[in-house]
Amino acid sequence: MTQQVPPLLAVRGVTKSFPGVRALHNMHLELRRGEVLALVGENGAGKSTLMKLLSGLYVPDHGSFDLDGKPFVSNGPKHAQELGISIIHQEFNLMPDLTVAQNIFIGREPRRFGLLSEHALNRKAQDLFDRMRLQLNPRESVGRLTVAKQQMVEIAKALSHDSKVIIMDEPTAALNDAEVATLHDLIRGFISLETGVIYISHRMDELKLISQRITVIRDGEYVDTVGTAETSMKEVISLMVGREVSGEQRPTAATAGARTDVVLSVEGLATKALLRDVGFDLHRGEILGFAGLMGAGRTEVARALVGADRATFGNLRVRGADVDIPNPAVAAKLGIGYLSEDRKHLGLMLERDVKENIMLSSLTENSAGGFIKEGALRRTAEEFSKKLRIKTPSVHQLARNLSGGNQQKIVIAKWLVKDCDILIFDEPTRGIDVGAKEEIYKLLDELAAGGKAIIMISSELPEVLRMSHRIAVMSEGRITGFLNNAEATQENIMELATRRISAIPGAVTA
Amino acid sequence: MSLVDSPAPHKPGLEPTSETTARKGNISVRLRSSLQQLLAFGSLIVLVIFFGIMNSRFLLPTNLSDILLSTVVIGLLALGATFVIITGGIDLSVGTGMSLCSVMTGVVLSYLGLPLWMGVVGGILMGTVIGAINGFFISFLRIPPFIATLAMMLVAQGMALVVSGTKPIYFTSTPGFSNLALGKPIVGLVVPNAVFIFFAAAILAGIVMSKTLIGRYTFSIGSNEEATALSGINVRSWKLWIYTVAGAFTGLAGVIIAARLNSAQPGQGLGYELQAIAAVVIGGTSLAGGKGSIVGTVIGALIMSVLTNGLRIISVPQEWQNVAIGVVILVAVYLDMLRRKETAQ
Amino acid sequence: MSKSIYNRRSFLTLTGVALGAVAIAGCDTPAAAPGAAATAPGAKPYIAIVSKGFQHQFWQAVKQGAEKAAAEFNVTITFEGPNTEADVDQQIQMLTTALGKNPAAIGFAALDSKAATPLLEQAKSKNIPIIAFDSGVDSDIPVGTASTDNKAAAGEAAKHLAGLIGNEGSIAIICHDQTSKSGVDRRDGFKDWIAANAPKIKIVDIQYAGGDQLKSTDAAKAIIAAHPELKGMYGTNEGSAIGVVNAVNELGLKDKLAIVGFDSGKAQLDAIRGGVMAGAITQNPVGIGYETVKAAVAAINKQPVKKVINTGFYWYDAKNIDSEQIKPNLYQ
Repeated sequence: MTQQVPPLLAVRGVTKSFPGVRALHNMHLELRRGEVLALVGENGAGKSTLMKLLSGLYVPDHGSFDLDGKPFVSNGPKHAQELGISIIHQEFNLMPDLTVAQNIFIGREPRRFGLLSEHALNRKAQDLFDRMRLQLNPRESVGRLTVAKQQMVEIAKALSHDSKVIIMDEPTAALNDAEVATLHDLIRGFISLETGVIYISHRMDELKLISQRITVIRDGEYVDTVGTAETSMKEVISLMVGREVSGEQRPTAATAGARTDVVLSVEGLATKALLRDVGFDLHRGEILGFAGLMGAGRTEVARALVGADRATFGNLRVRGADVDIPNPAVAAKLGIGYLSEDRKHLGLMLERDVKENIMLSSLTENSAGGFIKEGALRRTAEEFSKKLRIKTPSVHQLARNLSGGNQQKIVIAKWLVKDCDILIFDEPTRGIDVGAKEEIYKLLDELAAGGKAIIMISSELPEVLRMSHRIAVMSEGRITGFLNNAEATQENIMELATRRISAIPGAVTA
Repeated sequence: MSLVDSPAPHKPGLEPTSETTARKGNISVRLRSSLQQLLAFGSLIVLVIFFGIMNSRFLLPTNLSDILLSTVVIGLLALGATFVIITGGIDLSVGTGMSLCSVMTGVVLSYLGLPLWMGVVGGILMGTVIGAINGFFISFLRIPPFIATLAMMLVAQGMALVVSGTKPIYFTSTPGFSNLALGKPIVGLVVPNAVFIFFAAAILAGIVMSKTLIGRYTFSIGSNEEATALSGINVRSWKLWIYTVAGAFTGLAGVIIAARLNSAQPGQGLGYELQAIAAVVIGGTSLAGGKGSIVGTVIGALIMSVLTNGLRIISVPQEWQNVAIGVVILVAVYLDMLRRKETAQ
Repeated sequence: MSKSIYNRRSFLTLTGVALGAVAIAGCDTPAAAPGAAATAPGAKPYIAIVSKGFQHQFWQAVKQGAEKAAAEFNVTITFEGPNTEADVDQQIQMLTTALGKNPAAIGFAALDSKAATPLLEQAKSKNIPIIAFDSGVDSDIPVGTASTDNKAAAGEAAKHLAGLIGNEGSIAIICHDQTSKSGVDRRDGFKDWIAANAPKIKIVDIQYAGGDQLKSTDAAKAIIAAHPELKGMYGTNEGSAIGVVNAVNELGLKDKLAIVGFDSGKAQLDAIRGGVMAGAITQNPVGIGYETVKAAVAAINKQPVKKVINTGFYWYDAKNIDSEQIKPNLYQ
């Protein structure tokens, strides 16, 4: 597909290998002037490698990059910046203790007689914000800003460089809808005849809103580029995974007898910050899905339940007995396990082996007089590793070396060893690729069938629909409705999830 | 992946840029940072009043001048340490490094018989060399600061003894040298030169910290080293410079202590680094890096010397003096954490 | 793979450099590695001396005396000591190493007698005689102790200070240490003499500053600030005494405050010559070293050794500072 005008940015046959891994193979990509090009692919498809190549952190083995029809080689982020390519990483490159203005103009500080001029710096930043119509205070330190505002700082930084190309990696991962809309307005404001944006995202709904074309990559190779208007999201997804997605599978209803058996009952749960009057029952053998938009308070419910955050009100009954859960240790004693969404930081010790991770919370049960019974530990770890089909050469493998799906299984095993029969999964498949997701789903089904009661928090509606016997939908810190699996659709979930509490006094609590 | 074609989210327009709210924000930001320093200064005043009540002689001008004078050496070391600690590093070599610098001043003045100003320059230069070596090992060879400066602490201790021949060096040939520390800038004034040198150095450090690239990148590196590097800043060479600047303050401390004792004592200095770090920490600088101030460090150093002097004035036994200082460090750091938490909310 | 080889090579290089440095340093040491010399027939007997310090000139003077005796009695000695007087552990290591070399006798000045007891018992069981010196060893094992009688010496200092202020008024002490025997003896010997002989003198404060000149100066100034009526001060070692001198100089109180000190050193000698300091007690460090080795040789030869070998002390002031009796015991 040759064009009259050369594309703004072109990736031509780029290959990059690491010892034992071919991260990118013969990659192609063309960003046209004035467009937002979406780049999609599963985790590990090669997106981050491509970004690192463009920013000059890696050197390609083969192939070349063109900017404005001329080949270029970037030798580092600063050079890429000077060439007009700004990259906004998912993990921001910001200095939290510096002010907004100091962050934006780092390395380009205005000076007077060799001394920094804070005044000139802040005025420069304010000018930029006025031009972009951004609501930012140049003097505020970045660490105090919300994630959305930090994102704006990153974008302002990119724009302050007179960039031609901005590459954004999952820019909306932590934004709410209003913030996403603001971001999209900023992008539209930036796009001109001379500029372009590469927008990497997993959120298909956004791609419809912002992009003109979608480039799909899979396993380090270029798959196809389609016009956003002419395609359906289902088509894009099948391009990504290379097969049709089994999105419509529904769970077998939990057995009728089990349904009457309430193991956890919550009434009037509230926290200072967000939650108001949250109440629900959880039954033996049930998977109760929690749906809602980012910031609706789903994770907060889980944290308040296990005592990780302080609840201001609320009655909890576990297996019929009134309980008070001041901290997660008490929750664990009561058989409630919480698997947080941030596995790497909160759930796993990456540098320790599988056995230690699985057995960490059960050490007291496996020790005598302060000495750890290594043999018992290993046997139990091996038993659960087998039961959960954790793919590892042995239980002595470091957790770091396992895939995301298997890491998740380690965390699950940890709570099963502890004999927890109420399991709270927060985004159980985040960061796990499609194949491994199926494994986790199967495991959750088995656990529920085996009599565990499960709360599953998820941002992915198909996942919620597929897995849950019942779905609790949250909005603005309250439960706005419960749906049975049979009656639930994406549409009625979204309707409940976007319901404004202010509009309905005395919100519904099923 | 969100495999959802969800209904389009509502699109609120951009909020209008309001000059007034931005102004208000500025004032609150400024107020917050000055409040922090105000509180540290407040605790210093409370200590002074407390000791003043316990023994009125504490407040005599000569004693207050003594307190200032006893702040000088630890204070100078703390100024340099502030830079290093804000980058998220640590410098254990400042105590014995200081002794090596005073020995170097002694060599220049007494062994080589060079003029006084060259002795001062020689001492400070020795400090910058120590700092630059620390910086080189830390930034280019990636040796953790704790280890690199621990090694330098031992090297400096040994070298001070080697160069001096394990004997103190006396400044007999430059009789004016001790005036550098103990002379009075104006006849009749109680406060000696060393105190003015310290405050001049503190102002200089403050300017470097807030008005130069070195200072800016000190905060930046301590705040997020990776992000600073990805912003195109040459983190390695800036770190080298930061340690070198810190070393210059160690050098100045070496010159001043030599002038005050009118001799270069090669065997001393060990333990001074911990007092300097304590002063920095009491002054609200975070050992995790990214946060801190020169004003805070000056106040921290003053708190240390007010405590030591005050406890001596009211004849508290030395063993309890140490306990008291330890408790103050804990309290100061804890209060500072509380304060930050509150302002962060 | 290639990286690990590189690492190994650089490690080897570093090790090589380190060994080289040690070898060069080793060249400086006379009579290195005496090893089994003590047991070899015809070889000179070997005496290991573990002192409380090394850098300080006092210990260098002790070493000098020990070397003089070694030459005189035809024995080999080694002399070592820890970096600071707080490094008890380092000293124990040195004593362990010395024992390992199976010497004919050991000279030892304990930083902490209790910590050294097991090693001393080991020496006793191997029939290695121990000669204690300086502050000595708080144990029955040493066959003799060559030391200054610190209590008597401190009493002498008290006597002179009392005379200087007319046997009445307030005085204060800057002491170098509140735990070591020398610190305690030099403080208590002084206090006891005052209590027994000059009841009108009041000791208003005692501060400890580790013998660090700067800290001693600050401590002395604080005492002077708190007690304007102060008539005299006593510093228990060189650093403490110089601290008092510095304080008096900085405050311009020369002739208003009587100072007595302990030990010597250039700054203290200058202060005495210049009249800021009235005088000081000096020990006899050369004599301590000499007597230690002499007693060790006697013990090796199964001759009787006096339990307490008093090596003496002297009061010196501007009048006798350059006399033949005093001069050899003062160091610059």
